Amino acid sequence: MSRFKDLQKNLFGGTTSNARQFTMIFTLVAIILLFQWLTDGLTLNSGNLISLTQQYAYISVLSIGMLMVIVAGHIDLSVGSIAAFVGIIVAKSIRDGGVPWWVGILIGLGVGAVIGAWQGFWVAYIGVPAFIVTLAGMLIFRGGNQYIGNAETVAVPKAFTQIGAGYLPEWGPNTGYNNSTLILGLVACLAVVWREFQSRKTRRQMEAEQSPMWVSVLRMAIMVAVIVFATLRFAGGRVGTSFPISGCILAVLVIAYSFYTRNTAGGRHIYAVGGNARAAELSGVKLRRVNFFVIMNMSILAALAGMIFVARSGASGPQDGLSWELDAIAAVFIGGAAVAGGIGTVSGSIVGGLVMAVLKNGLQLLGIGTDREQIIRGLFLLLAVALDVYNKSQGRFSIIGSIMRPFRRQENTDPAAPNQAGQESIKAPVGG
Amino acid sequence: MRKFLTRSLAVSAVALVALSTAACGSSDRDDSSTGASGGAAKGFAKDALIGVALPSKTSENWVLAGDLFTNGLKDAGFKSDVQYAGASTTVADQQSQISSMVTKGAKVIVIGATDAAQLGTQVKQAKDSGAIVIAYDRLITGTADLDYYVAFDNFKVGQLQGQALLDGMKAKKPTGPWTIELFSGSPDDNNAGVFFNGAMDVLKPLIDKGDLIVGSGQKDVKQTAIQGWKAEGAQSRMDTIMTSTYAKGDKTLDGVLSPNDTLARAIITSVKAAGKPVPVVTGQDSEVESVKSIMAGEQYSTINKDTRKLVAETINMVKALQGGGEPTINDTKSYNNGVKVVPSYLLPPVIVTKANAAEAYANDPKLSPLTK
Repeated sequence: MSRFKDLQKNLFGGTTSNARQFTMIFTLVAIILLFQWLTDGLTLNSGNLISLTQQYAYISVLSIGMLMVIVAGHIDLSVGSIAAFVGIIVAKSIRDGGVPWWVGILIGLGVGAVIGAWQGFWVAYIGVPAFIVTLAGMLIFRGGNQYIGNAETVAVPKAFTQIGAGYLPEWGPNTGYNNSTLILGLVACLAVVWREFQSRKTRRQMEAEQSPMWVSVLRMAIMVAVIVFATLRFAGGRVGTSFPISGCILAVLVIAYSFYTRNTAGGRHIYAVGGNARAAELSGVKLRRVNFFVIMNMSILAALAGMIFVARSGASGPQDGLSWELDAIAAVFIGGAAVAGGIGTVSGSIVGGLVMAVLKNGLQLLGIGTDREQIIRGLFLLLAVALDVYNKSQGRFSIIGSIMRPFRRQENTDPAAPNQAGQESIKAPVGG
Repeated sequence: MRKFLTRSLAVSAVALVALSTAACGSSDRDDSSTGASGGAAKGFAKDALIGVALPSKTSENWVLAGDLFTNGLKDAGFKSDVQYAGASTTVADQQSQISSMVTKGAKVIVIGATDAAQLGTQVKQAKDSGAIVIAYDRLITGTADLDYYVAFDNFKVGQLQGQALLDGMKAKKPTGPWTIELFSGSPDDNNAGVFFNGAMDVLKPLIDKGDLIVGSGQKDVKQTAIQGWKAEGAQSRMDTIMTSTYAKGDKTLDGVLSPNDTLARAIITSVKAAGKPVPVVTGQDSEVESVKSIMAGEQYSTINKDTRKLVAETINMVKALQGGGEPTINDTKSYNNGVKVVPSYLLPPVIVTKANAAEAYANDPKLSPLTK
């Protein structure tokens, strides 16, 4: 086997790989480089990366939940309204009720859970389609926001704004960088290296085919280089700024939910239900419980996203949450989820959201107005999903599932695997 | 041993790549950023970038303002970045647009806020980067980092609207009591309340005396507000009022206080649809359709807040700041944004009815032909 083939096959894992597999990440890199060039280096400027993270954190929190909802074969249109509803309740209870900010956050999560249980009940136990339940929720909670807030804008205290607009503390010796961010970057680098060796060990124990050592090293080097670059950028912004706290919240959620959807029985059940609900039920998956969970989980994440946005804005306003559901859904589909359910990954959705965010940010830096920006983003969404659908219909490997391939066990090494899309949905219940 | 060797080799290779990337990275943490707190006394380059963030294109005024800023700043020798918020995600758009302007190194950022209270973080970000922030037409509340406010005297606008409503009704029906309805603007726009309070400053004494009767009984600003200044909101509220209060015919509607032209036209449409005679309706902004309507005798009045003058005044401020001087200010006590009193430059508004339209719009190339 030639070196090149080795590389192609193993760099990001996957045995049925071809160049298409990397489309999503390539697109992201290409867009970043394109705008980096067009904007004379402003795109990867410290300040811009920091505000980009803050702008996109709350949408990505939503898209984590939305991914699970869509994988389970549902949709949630109510997230923006729930975010706005929770936002006004939290802002009002802090301002008028006099509760401390952290109690406000707990109240917000609690309200999110109650709303989620309400919607989950209708979807899972009564059997009303999620589209209808959440369409109703969209109206109910938008109205609730206006009823409670009297369509006013309610400010929140400084301490609360930390979760949306805050930064990691400055401490220790003057290194010319934010030390908290440096530590964070170091931890991320060590985690990448540790995981690589861990996965090699696992594969050796399973007697699976090992990728050559030099590919592993190259993969680690690329990831570490990206992390180091990002760390220095985030740490090297204006004094007082660092990797945003909202970004930290997002990172924790991404790691936790990736693990949950990939490595736990509960997570695999979601894929099973979305792939074939009947088959899943017959193999012992508790259908109602899974549906209830994904819908409820979505509402809790929507509550969190709403609070992050309120914190970033310094106030809860009547226009909060407008069309957030669309941004979240777009991120999930660009990230390779299937409309019919059963397919998609958390990390894919994050990359999908990032692509849209970088596109929007880059167009804004170029001074292109929101009118044309919306047209461009709309076309991009259409083309990205169309390309994926086309690839699948051609029987080629789709973008779907390719993004986080190295973390999945490789059960089928047969190069003649017929149709990857079909294979995934069959594989899902087995994984659980 | 061999395993150990390969491993350490791998780790050091990775470390090498990391270090070489680190060498390319550079820190923005230089001492110049501390200059931000040193005040605006120093001025900036003649061709500096000036950012202008405006709300979505919901009224002609904002579209006109955008064009005037683009051309005016160019003529003054500045680079400009004029941005509108999108129609559906206004607040979030404006937040990210202001952040982008900061990234691009704008020296002055002029903001026509979508939501008065939700831009504090971005205004602080701009201030920290050393930019000067001017609130254009709409005050930004709850932030200590706003430098100046330039606008028409909005309390005066409200007073003029209230007076015009009275004058118009008196002209039609010399003796009271008169039956009226009240409308106010979007509750998240700081100006909406100021307009309404100005108008009520004139109308309230008469309402209390019984000379003015609010037919529907809806007098509270929470009842009269139209979210987002949306025409459809005003139209459906008026439809409801026509049905609930005036359908039986025992009450005649004499006048409607409308905060702007878009809402005024929606209100007139609604009254006409209900088959009733058009009452005296006030307005504001001198929109083309409303000027036509005034000349046709439907809408009673509008307010001429010449956007040209306001933009010109803002650009004058930018020029003064560029030279390192203090811009002209004529009000240092009226506009408290909740954290500080914002130094303001206020321009006087002009009321326009059919009687003085030709004179008021004489210098306006677009409106002047309509008044002949």
